[in-house]
Amino acid sequence: MANTKPQITVINVETGEEIIRDANADEIAQIKLDAANDEARKVEAEAKAIAKAAILDRLGLSADELQTILG
Amino acid sequence: MATTTNYGWTTPDDTALVKDGAAAIRTLGSSVDTTTKNLNPSTTLGDIEYRSSTANVNTRLGIGSTGNVLTVTGGVPTWAVPSGAGSMTEIASGSLSSTSVVLSSIPQTYRHLFLYVKNAQVSNLTLMIFRLNGSTSSIYTEKGFSLNNTVFRNNVSQAYFSPATQEVNIPTGANNDTYSLFIEEYTQTAYKNITTSMRDSASDGAESYNTFNNFASTTAITSVTIAGSNGTSTFSAGTYALYGVK
Repeated sequence: MANTKPQITVINVETGEEIIRDANADEIAQIKLDAANDEARKVEAEAKAIAKAAILDRLGLSADELQTILG
Repeated sequence: MATTTNYGWTTPDDTALVKDGAAAIRTLGSSVDTTTKNLNPSTTLGDIEYRSSTANVNTRLGIGSTGNVLTVTGGVPTWAVPSGAGSMTEIASGSLSSTSVVLSSIPQTYRHLFLYVKNAQVSNLTLMIFRLNGSTSSIYTEKGFSLNNTVFRNNVSQAYFSPATQEVNIPTGANNDTYSLFIEEYTQTAYKNITTSMRDSASDGAESYNTFNNFASTTAITSVTIAGSNGTSTFSAGTYALYGVK
C-alpha cells in the first residue's frame, strides 16, 4: 500500500544532515487546519472581489477608472 | 651562591667544594623544570601562550571555537567571533521537496538571516508561506503592498508569513518567481522585524510584492519552514539558500 502521509524534509543546517519523514499526528492536524483556513480565505477573497465588482458596476466605473481616481 | 644569567638558577660556586653532586644537580634540574613549565603552560591541542604580568611566567590560552579570530581585550589576547561587518555567508542551500522544507538548527552566530527561494513549483496551486520556529500561532503580523500600490493584508495577524497576495500562487510549471525573507536580529529575545519580497515572473517582472512584518515571539529563531498555505501541495522543483549576515 502506497504511503499517503504528507512528507516533510528536515535539514539540519549545522550538520548538513537531511531527512525526509512522514508528518506526525500534530503536523497532519495542522495541515488539515491550514487547508481549511486556506479554503476559507479563498472564499472570502472571491466574495470581496464580487462585492467590489458590484459596487463598481453600480457606480458605472471600471477597475482601471477606479485606479485612476485613487491615483 | 652563583646563579645563571637569565633565570637565576642556583649553581655551585667555582670555589665551592661540592659534597653532594646529586643534590646540586637536582636543585638545578628542579629550577629548570619550574621555569620551563612557567614558560610553556600548554596542556591541550591548540593552546598558545602569552606573557603574563609576571616575568618568565606565561599564561595559557586555550584554542577558540571554529571561525574565531585572535583579538585583544583588556591588553591581552583572546579568541572571539570575527565582527566581519557586512559579510554574508551561505549556511544552507538545496532543492525544495516534500510538503514542507524545515531548515533546523540554524547557528546563532550571525546578526541577521536572509532566505532566498527560487523557481518553486508545486503539485497543486498554493500560496508560498514561511513559518519560524515551527510556530502555528497567529503571531505573524503583516502589512503588504504591491508595486502598483495596492495594499494587501493591512496589519493582519496570521499563522505564517506569505509574501504575495492570495491570488498569486506558486505555479505548477516552470517559472522564474522568487521569494525572499529577511529576519533582523534573529537571535534577540524580543519581537522580530521581518520583511519579505516576491517577484511574480508571470507578469514579466512588472509585479513585485513586499511585506513589512512583525513576529511576536521573544524566542531566538532556530528554524525556518518553507511550505504551501494549503498544507498538502508537494514541492516538485525549486531551490532555497539561507544566508547568515554579519
